[in-house]
Amino acid sequence: MQRDVGSLPLAPAVRARLVSAGFQSVQELLETGPCGLSKEIGISKEEALEVLQVVRQECHGDATRTTARSGASRKCTALELLEEEQAQGFIITFCSALDNILGGGVQLTKITEVCGAPGVGKTQLCMQLAVDVQIPECFGGVAGEAVFIDTEGSFIVDRVVDIAAACVQHCHLIAEAHQEEDQLKALETFSVESILSHIYCFRCRDYIELLAQVYLLPDFLSEHSKVRLVVVDGIAFPFRHEFEDLSLRTRLLNGLAQQLIIVANDHKSAVILTNQMTTRIGQSQSTLVPALGESWGHAATVRLIFHWDNSQRLATLYKSPSQKESTVPYHITVSIPFGLEIASCKGIFRHTDKSVNYVFLVLLFSSLMNITGNTGMSPDLLIFCTFSL
Amino acid sequence: MAAKKLRRAMLSQELCERLSRHQITTCQDFLRLSFLELMKVTGQSYYDVRKLLCKVSRACAPKMQTAYEMKLRKSVNPSSAFLSTTLHSLDEVLHGGVPCGSLTEITGPPGCGKTQFCIMASVLATLPVSMGGLDGAVIYIDTESAFSAERLIEIAGNRFPTYFDSEEKLFCMTCSIHLYRELTCGSVLKRITSLEEEIISKKVKLIIVDSIASVVRKEFDTKLQGNLIERSNFLARGASVLKYLAEEFSIPVILTNQITTSLSNGLAIQADLVSPADDLSLSEGASGSGKRKSGCVTAALGNTWSHSVNTRLILQYHDLLTRQLLVAKSPVAPFSAFFYTIEKSGLVLQVCQKLLCTPLLQRSDGKDQTNLTWEGTNPALQTIRVRNTTLKDTFLDAALPSTTGETPSNTSCL
Repeated sequence: MQRDVGSLPLAPAVRARLVSAGFQSVQELLETGPCGLSKEIGISKEEALEVLQVVRQECHGDATRTTARSGASRKCTALELLEEEQAQGFIITFCSALDNILGGGVQLTKITEVCGAPGVGKTQLCMQLAVDVQIPECFGGVAGEAVFIDTEGSFIVDRVVDIAAACVQHCHLIAEAHQEEDQLKALETFSVESILSHIYCFRCRDYIELLAQVYLLPDFLSEHSKVRLVVVDGIAFPFRHEFEDLSLRTRLLNGLAQQLIIVANDHKSAVILTNQMTTRIGQSQSTLVPALGESWGHAATVRLIFHWDNSQRLATLYKSPSQKESTVPYHITVSIPFGLEIASCKGIFRHTDKSVNYVFLVLLFSSLMNITGNTGMSPDLLIFCTFSL
Repeated sequence: MAAKKLRRAMLSQELCERLSRHQITTCQDFLRLSFLELMKVTGQSYYDVRKLLCKVSRACAPKMQTAYEMKLRKSVNPSSAFLSTTLHSLDEVLHGGVPCGSLTEITGPPGCGKTQFCIMASVLATLPVSMGGLDGAVIYIDTESAFSAERLIEIAGNRFPTYFDSEEKLFCMTCSIHLYRELTCGSVLKRITSLEEEIISKKVKLIIVDSIASVVRKEFDTKLQGNLIERSNFLARGASVLKYLAEEFSIPVILTNQITTSLSNGLAIQADLVSPADDLSLSEGASGSGKRKSGCVTAALGNTWSHSVNTRLILQYHDLLTRQLLVAKSPVAPFSAFFYTIEKSGLVLQVCQKLLCTPLLQRSDGKDQTNLTWEGTNPALQTIRVRNTTLKDTFLDAALPSTTGETPSNTSCL
């Protein structure tokens, strides 16, 4: 009630008039009423009414924030947060080593950034996650939908079809092995067509379209409340040219990051961004660092860097609030530490029919998971091999 | 979309006038401002500005489509999703051929066959759909004056002798290939940005830029300060225009690139292995002169450009007669290598030579494979073999089995 008039979100002209007329606190405004207000500061009655409505809305908001002890949208105790976090699902990537270093998978309500050299697999990971987020809950998934914002034009539908088919087959195998009621039921609606129709794609050609789309995201997500994943593939590409004014770029990127954090929190979805690598030329050496500058590094909560070491692909967890930094290799070919067995299995994996390939791989993996019981042995491949079988 | 005038974004007339007094006329200007600035400029309250922002965003945001709709649209027109290169194994690996709607880059040392590939592709694009072509015109932007019309006719006549049996058919084919000679960066960019109308009027189905590297490297000397940024800007702008054209009209775009000598130890990303004397790891060495000190030869134009292209095919020398084609970056294909030679009819894939093929490379069905999978690496740093190194390496080349990736030692490594 004692709030200063100058802090209200009114039009600047109206605010200036109120201040010059001598109004200081909100209480005074409410006491005056619309007709008195319009006479005193020289605005129409309708405008005065609007001003009072804004004032009441603000005060109501303030009041609920001060009187309510808990339950307001942004305030809760750490215990409540802990319970929420434990109940929350992860979006699995199907590569157990990667899931391990991430602490279970891609976390909801957080922004994860994937940086990497060209051709290392960032878009493949995004397409994989867009399919994985739709896995029904009885199989350990999140049963959500996905929004895919593509700025580079690298979203290939045929690839997603392959990944989706492999995922559906994998779930079928699990259901057949366990023969549980709810799993079989869930499988009836889980098919390649349904997966594809729940991936919402937007193709943004420049940074203005990207900004516009992110402004419209909250409305879109309220309409499609089942969305649990937002992918922005190529946040670097539209911002890396046409910007003479770097401070404008920093400001826009920060605004974008804030919008995405709000989206992630309010709608309980995970946000994945992919970034490029750029060469930083130092005194006597040059290194590859994530693009978009140092200040962008603050935007993401979790940062993964994919890179090459000769012909080995590695994933490094570069920044995370809850997991420690580590690097794991991931392969495209089959490579499980059982030596001999794989030499004989190689013949199977050379089958020309890709789906048969994948079935064998999955059988192998699920049997291995049963054997090893997730203890320390981490076969670090899996969906990364379906990308290129 | 971004340059859309605010008037067309359904904003009221007086608001538009008020904004234009502050030099805000397009959606782009509007969306760049922060909330406070918008409130000041429009003179409205926070909530109204929020609504305005949504309105303007809706005017320039892209349309939503589900992946399913995209798939349906593609399946309606399956033959137009790829340009078949008539190199069978390559097409198989690439799931059909050069993909439409994205950028494909061909890079390699001089004389390896990049221009030959482009000429061959232009012939293929003019073929009717029943023969695997796209039945359309070709726009060929030539920056090196390397295009030879006689070679074009030779390739067409020898590759498809039954189809091009009369002078008239050849004549028809050559009429639909439009050649532009551009010699500076600025003119190339201007040409690309003005292509939209030509594509529609001439029914163009393939765009070739041969080569984008030569103009860029002529004009931008990266040793000079500031040139690196300008070069990246030019390349990024060119790439985004070409991507827009490729997607809008669903046509393939082929670009050729050159090679450069990178003085760092190429394979390592952390360049702390570079000695302090080699402080020019990004500089253009003399292209094609082979290895120099500890340097190695990789694709030119740097790391950022490698991000912009969607598919990268590398041509390199293998021995005196044969050359090798590597699929180094592709969203649908694994790393693969093929041998080819250049003959009268263009590029011809070779079956793997017995001399160089170890038994492990044979498929279980007993056929020699030309499709060798190998452990690839970062496509921006993939080393490329040039002519004079191949003579040395041919006989000492124990490297070949290891690049084909099927030796037993690989299975035990994690």
